[in-house]
Amino acid sequence: MSTLTKFSAIPYTGPAPTNRNPYIPSDVAVHDARGAALAEKLQHAAMQQETGQDLPTFIVEKSAIVNVLTVLRDHPELRFTMPLDCWGVDYPRREKRFDVLYQLYSLQNNERVRLKVMVGEDESIDSGINVFKGLDWFEREVWDMFGIRFDGHPNLRRILTHEAFQGHPLRKDYDPAQRWLLTEKDVAQLTPVIDDRFKDVDTDFERVTLNLGPSHPATHGTLRIVVTLDGETIIGADQEIGYLHRCFEKMSETHTYQQVIPFTDRLNYCSAIINNVGYCLTVEKLLGIEAPARAQHVRLMLSEFMRIADHLVCIGTNLVDMGALTNFWYLFQPREEIYGLIEACCGARLLPSYLRIGGLAVDVPTDFLQNAQRLVDMIPKYIDDVEKLVDRNKVFLDRVVGVAPISPEDAIAYGFTGPCLRACGVPFDVRKSNPYIGYETYDFDVPIAEGGDTYARYLVRMEEMRQSLRILQQAIDRGLPEGPVMVDNPYVALPPKEKVYNEMESLIYHFKLIMHGIQPPVGEAYFQVEGGNGELGFHVVSDGTKNPYRVRVRPPCFAIYQAFGKMITGQTIPDAVAALGSLNIIAGELDH
Amino acid sequence: MAIERVSPGVVRVVPNKLSVSERMYIPQVLAGMVLTLRHLVKNLFNMKGLPTISYPEVKRVYSERFRGRHILTTREDGTTRCVACYMCSTACPAECIKIEAGEDERTREKFPQRYEIDLLRCIFCGYCVDACPEDAIYMTRDYEMAIDTRARSVVGLRDLVVPPNFPVEPMGWRPYYGSIDKHGTAGGTGIGQPKREAPFADDAPLNPDLYRGA
Amino acid sequence: MPVKETSFPDSIIRRKAGVGPGEGPEKGLITLPGESDREVADLGSSTYLTTTVDTMVNWARGNSLWPLPFGTACCAIEFMSMVSSHYDIARFGAEVVRFSPRQADLMIVAGTIVDKMAPVLKKIYEQMPEPRYVLAMGACATSGGFYRAYHVVQGIDEIVPVDIWVPGCPPTPEGLMYGILKLKEKIERGEIKR
Repeated sequence: MSTLTKFSAIPYTGPAPTNRNPYIPSDVAVHDARGAALAEKLQHAAMQQETGQDLPTFIVEKSAIVNVLTVLRDHPELRFTMPLDCWGVDYPRREKRFDVLYQLYSLQNNERVRLKVMVGEDESIDSGINVFKGLDWFEREVWDMFGIRFDGHPNLRRILTHEAFQGHPLRKDYDPAQRWLLTEKDVAQLTPVIDDRFKDVDTDFERVTLNLGPSHPATHGTLRIVVTLDGETIIGADQEIGYLHRCFEKMSETHTYQQVIPFTDRLNYCSAIINNVGYCLTVEKLLGIEAPARAQHVRLMLSEFMRIADHLVCIGTNLVDMGALTNFWYLFQPREEIYGLIEACCGARLLPSYLRIGGLAVDVPTDFLQNAQRLVDMIPKYIDDVEKLVDRNKVFLDRVVGVAPISPEDAIAYGFTGPCLRACGVPFDVRKSNPYIGYETYDFDVPIAEGGDTYARYLVRMEEMRQSLRILQQAIDRGLPEGPVMVDNPYVALPPKEKVYNEMESLIYHFKLIMHGIQPPVGEAYFQVEGGNGELGFHVVSDGTKNPYRVRVRPPCFAIYQAFGKMITGQTIPDAVAALGSLNIIAGELDH
Repeated sequence: MAIERVSPGVVRVVPNKLSVSERMYIPQVLAGMVLTLRHLVKNLFNMKGLPTISYPEVKRVYSERFRGRHILTTREDGTTRCVACYMCSTACPAECIKIEAGEDERTREKFPQRYEIDLLRCIFCGYCVDACPEDAIYMTRDYEMAIDTRARSVVGLRDLVVPPNFPVEPMGWRPYYGSIDKHGTAGGTGIGQPKREAPFADDAPLNPDLYRGA
Repeated sequence: MPVKETSFPDSIIRRKAGVGPGEGPEKGLITLPGESDREVADLGSSTYLTTTVDTMVNWARGNSLWPLPFGTACCAIEFMSMVSSHYDIARFGAEVVRFSPRQADLMIVAGTIVDKMAPVLKKIYEQMPEPRYVLAMGACATSGGFYRAYHVVQGIDEIVPVDIWVPGCPPTPEGLMYGILKLKEKIERGEIKR
């Protein structure tokens, strides 16, 4: 097959990227001032502010990273208690090859900070796992993808790729198509996921190790849990992921900016448009453009419809896992109608690829608002039906109340976001804290619940669907703003077809844009949206060429699922099944 | 569930307190049963309102933007509009389009000698249609594409080109929705190319998985 | 647990550039060895009775496919759509969705299969009782789709034999149903023998 030639192993020869981006328009001065204020408060010798970024950014000396993380967490005025993300970027031409980036969030001040640590190829970095529990899997991922060792990490194994894998795929000199086969012989040779850590635990009954998944109806296809049981009680659990690692981040580096949009669809495939929105807004931020008002309005409406569809699938399948099949039929009916609306807009049901950088692919159909109104009138009926079936049903309540609880402090330390965090009573919602595409102009409430258990998560999701309907009703009442759905910029948007057919100038722009792609200025940008499961962030680094230099996705499931083993300890296997469904782990997003 | 306001913009969902009868399992189970029975009876008396689509007999009407199987359009005289400019294969994220260009000796115009789409690789994103400067590739509303062997999944000009009188009406994803006059000669004239009619009389038999008559 | 470099030199086969996936030296390794047995030679001497019984058996098999949804990704959601009320696969006798391979005869591979998952897929296929059929649904399962990547199996025919391929990303529920109906016809015509 000659089509593979594009991926032959060519060492990276492109321009050496710098970290300067003079083009980020939004509030560079504001962020610099905030960063300066932070530096003023901290007075930390190892932190050096980097200006001109889209977030307060500090370059931290490698030896001081644990100290810096501790100071940021414990400082009484700052309280950066939530570890949002930790990821790497590879600059092979630099003396110190890798950047390890951390992003922390302060719930108290609604403030973000980004830390950068430069690490050489043979060097290792201290693990921050004792400061933030939530860094566990993120550090394992950096090790897996870049080969950066974290000293002091208790379990630094590969996480996304399999054990027979050689090399570290996100390094720039790794051939994107180089596969390593895992045969059944290898699987038999591998050490079991669970070791003798529970040897000393006092057990009343015989200790049994039980493997659930990856192909198991309760694990939704691609998750694997190895639990150690004492009788029926779980005394320890390990989650193994990577059974759907589709290399989103490496694939992004081999495709152009517009071509990445179909890949983002397939991250959280239950709410594909929200992923599109997140990615497009990030690249638009990098480019310094803003989509027209009409496009933003449609983006908002479809995001909310997708959020409802996401919660419908989550609650429906969760109830199926507990044996309540009828709800599944009731909930899938409005979901099917939502897909009908999406299909009328762009011709595909589940994975629409509807957005483009700079706007929408095409304008919405003329009866869009009528159909949206019909859906908004119809959906509450189905939600009410399900509520009537299960809400006061003792059988259901016995399965969910008090099952797999997590405390707010733990949830924050693990980096929970979205409905799972709000179920612990923490009212964090990106739509409120960092509003985008006009959410600040809508009247809606963030639902929270107490307890952080499976029941609380169910309650929050149910109420969130109603709040989404509220937003949608307001959006319909306002009507669609007049105007185009794509920016008027020939370096970003394809010219209209009439002009392409008939005018030479537009034809040239068309050819240029397809052949050379969108070429954002050198720099980096991070943007976050509220996905179905929580904060969905994209970090895009551009080196000025048509392909992204690095696309990092911050998947909300990833942070949530790493706490699952702790959450189900002390519970029974059926409880674990109910809890897993309520977390809404979407494997496409989890394994990116 | 009850809703109680905590602060502006934040509400707390408070679980229900169960009454004595609700705590006794059976009444609520029966109430749920009544609800499902009501649905059943309602559906029995309103069979036409059922959401089920009896698929092979009744087909759902997808919108005019549906992204299904591709076709290559033709000019009035039967030549393919495609000028082998490689725009579609460049824009394709799946790299499933392979083109070999030929050149006409008299007019120096390019035309596709081979044009192959690997349907199994294709992700039906519609980028090829957006990229085409010649109005040459459309997507139909045909989604019935199950294939027997992998070798048959690659469709060539043979299965893609439609005759000039092909009914364009049930068409899917196109560059525009409405009529638009294409004047100017940016895309060449088609003089000197072999005229194409489908089904072709002289070629290999049609791909039975895909071609079921226009 | 201390950091440990894993190395299994036996299993590592570098694929040459330009050689298609599944065509290089890894081909015989994870493809089922008995794949060529699928083409069972015509016995030629079957009597009237056995052919009639065959027809009846094939008819029964075609009308009671019990699917095992090996759903990993996006396509599994569309599979759920096909099972739910709008499309209702029960009309073709295939609604008995079994997650145990020992009770199913049609494996619907819905979603991307990655290298980590490949041994699992093969193991589950081997656990299914004969006769067993495989439907590859969607671009990823059939060919890897647009993931020409370091961790994605480029088509499940590297691992298990496939009877019917359904293109689409994901296919619409009707598209999948069309595939199942086509498979049903194939079974009833007796084209698949194993």
